Amino acid sequence: MGLLDETVSVPRRTMTLFFLIDTSGSMEGNKIGAVNDAVVNVLPMLNDISETNPDAEIKVAALEFSNGVNWLYDEPKLAKDFIWQDVVASGLTSLGAACSELASKLSRSGGFMQSASGSFAPAIILLSDGGPTDDYNSGLAKLKANNWFKSAIKIAIAIGDDADKDVLKEFTGSSEAVITVHNIDALKQIIRVVAVTSSQIGSKSSTAGEITKQEQVVKDIQDATQNIDGAETSDSTSTIDSSQYIDDWG
Amino acid sequence: MELKKGARVNLTFGNQATVIKELGRGGQGIVYLVDLDGQRMALKWYITPPDEKFYKNLERNIRQGAPSDAFIWPEYLTQKENGSFGYIMKLRPSDYFEFGNYLLARKNFKSFNAMLAAAMKICNGFMMLHRFGYSYQDLNDGNFFIRPTDGDVLICDNDNVMPQGEKSGIMGKARYMAPEIVAGGIPDKYSDRFSLSVILFMLFFANHPFEGAKVVACPCMTETFEKRFYGSEAIFIYSPSDKSNLPVRGVHQNVIKRWPLFPSTLKKTFIDQFSEEKLWHPNTRMIEQEWERIISKVRDELVVCPHCHEETFVDIEDNKFKCINCGDDIDVTKQLKLNNRSLILTAGTKLYINHDNTPDAEVDFFPSDKNLLVIRNLTQSCWHIDTPSGKVKVVNPNEFLPILNGLKISFGSSIKEAAGTKGEVIA
Ligand SMILES: [Zn+2]
Repeated sequence: MGLLDETVSVPRRTMTLFFLIDTSGSMEGNKIGAVNDAVVNVLPMLNDISETNPDAEIKVAALEFSNGVNWLYDEPKLAKDFIWQDVVASGLTSLGAACSELASKLSRSGGFMQSASGSFAPAIILLSDGGPTDDYNSGLAKLKANNWFKSAIKIAIAIGDDADKDVLKEFTGSSEAVITVHNIDALKQIIRVVAVTSSQIGSKSSTAGEITKQEQVVKDIQDATQNIDGAETSDSTSTIDSSQYIDDWG
Repeated sequence: MELKKGARVNLTFGNQATVIKELGRGGQGIVYLVDLDGQRMALKWYITPPDEKFYKNLERNIRQGAPSDAFIWPEYLTQKENGSFGYIMKLRPSDYFEFGNYLLARKNFKSFNAMLAAAMKICNGFMMLHRFGYSYQDLNDGNFFIRPTDGDVLICDNDNVMPQGEKSGIMGKARYMAPEIVAGGIPDKYSDRFSLSVILFMLFFANHPFEGAKVVACPCMTETFEKRFYGSEAIFIYSPSDKSNLPVRGVHQNVIKRWPLFPSTLKKTFIDQFSEEKLWHPNTRMIEQEWERIISKVRDELVVCPHCHEETFVDIEDNKFKCINCGDDIDVTKQLKLNNRSLILTAGTKLYINHDNTPDAEVDFFPSDKNLLVIRNLTQSCWHIDTPSGKVKVVNPNEFLPILNGLKISFGSSIKEAAGTKGEVIA
């Protein structure tokens, strides 16, 4: 039947999943190995989600930061076209520079968000095992003023106890969106869970009702984290920040 | 907790099911292939168990049984064990494909006939669901599985079906929900009816009824914008009173191509159901039976073109009788009148007298004379024919009557749920 065979796909928006990966010297060894391994393994899963999704297709972008910053590709790529080149760890932790760089790409003109049929808000996953060694405040301030960033799904993975969770919390906007991992296996599992969950929710039309995509992602990740040894999410009751508490009284 | 291959789960009625392998996973849970007393079934297992209310609701739904054979309904509940629970349902046959596949053009309906059958079956499913007192909470394109050859439909993910007025907490996609639900309301049969119209529109036109120029112009579809475009500021793409959200050439290609092909009856219904009044006054939305009547009317206008032998629509209301494929005129002088319906009789056209998806008759040629058209009885019982000269003839199953003016058909008990239907041939 001719007419029905001429059917074309519905227009789909694009949802870009950003990996921001700390490749400073302290990540060297099995941490960076686990990141490389986990991302390679999650890409086919993202491709499956993308190909069967009538709402949006998923593209991936990855930025590594150490002494400087570097995009693995100079544009977001479909998961199936994203050939992962292993990242190597050395140097400092230029998180501020990474924030500025991300802010400059979260735009339509000259940035990464130029999809012809429009976008959904992106999902951004930040992985770090330390604290910024540059002036991250101005970079983060720039990022926080960006409208794409404001509406993005933001999750941070703190690798080990040396990760600066306050900074990660500032980045994501809440302590619930920061997941801490204590071993290599947990790191791999959490990367998969976070990438899949944020892509699944971020690339679909939002659900009706009151819960936001960010809240939904955080809730699902928290549920999954309970079953992963060596991974934990901050308990919202334990995150009362004394300095903020004092500010309130000041 | 996830289940491993070979794991055994205990069902509440005593039996055990054994996990064979994982079939897929979604936001809420994992579906496993299981063996239950030698039968292959599906087990949906929740990764984290929903609350007690959910369990009780599932238990009640299982007790009540499926509203119709369109539903892949929960059949057995597991005990609460391994930190969670799940339920057993039938396996989905492999020749049914998720509705999303049709939207992505990975699957196409084999015919308009199959498309209309799917529409009819979905309507009927909703009607039965509401007749049982339920409402559909998390409706989206992942719930419907359709067979491309004949349009048969299976409705899945029925664990969130709840009695009307209750809220499962798991809500559907904003794109498929009524504006009042997008704004935070509780789903009920009125909001389901809106969702039904959206699903039917997408089934027929393979684009979304509210996604036109306005929506394309939005660079980043945030949740706030979704609440506007599918809620407070929803505008039907073919709204006669507001042209600001028309479909865009090169983007919404399917609807631009298909909208002119369908009969006015269908287009008028969508214009009405997506009008401001129906958007904002849920209880004025059309009931499912009325949708069935409209789809049946559209099916009455689907005929086989005598020239190119492809399916085409005629538009009785608009007096348009040109084939949508070859452009030639369709002869509509031969008709079967049924109450206020007029079924056009062209060779190869199937006739559906009631609202199910089994054809009751078919127009054919007399075996030895290609100039004589006949109506073949595809039902299981005989028909009685009164001729204009007063004779009474019997047409047994698979036999036929000639298409001659004035023949009156009594369908007797041959048409399910429409016993005693009578028709007359006009030629
Ligand atoms: Zn034709």
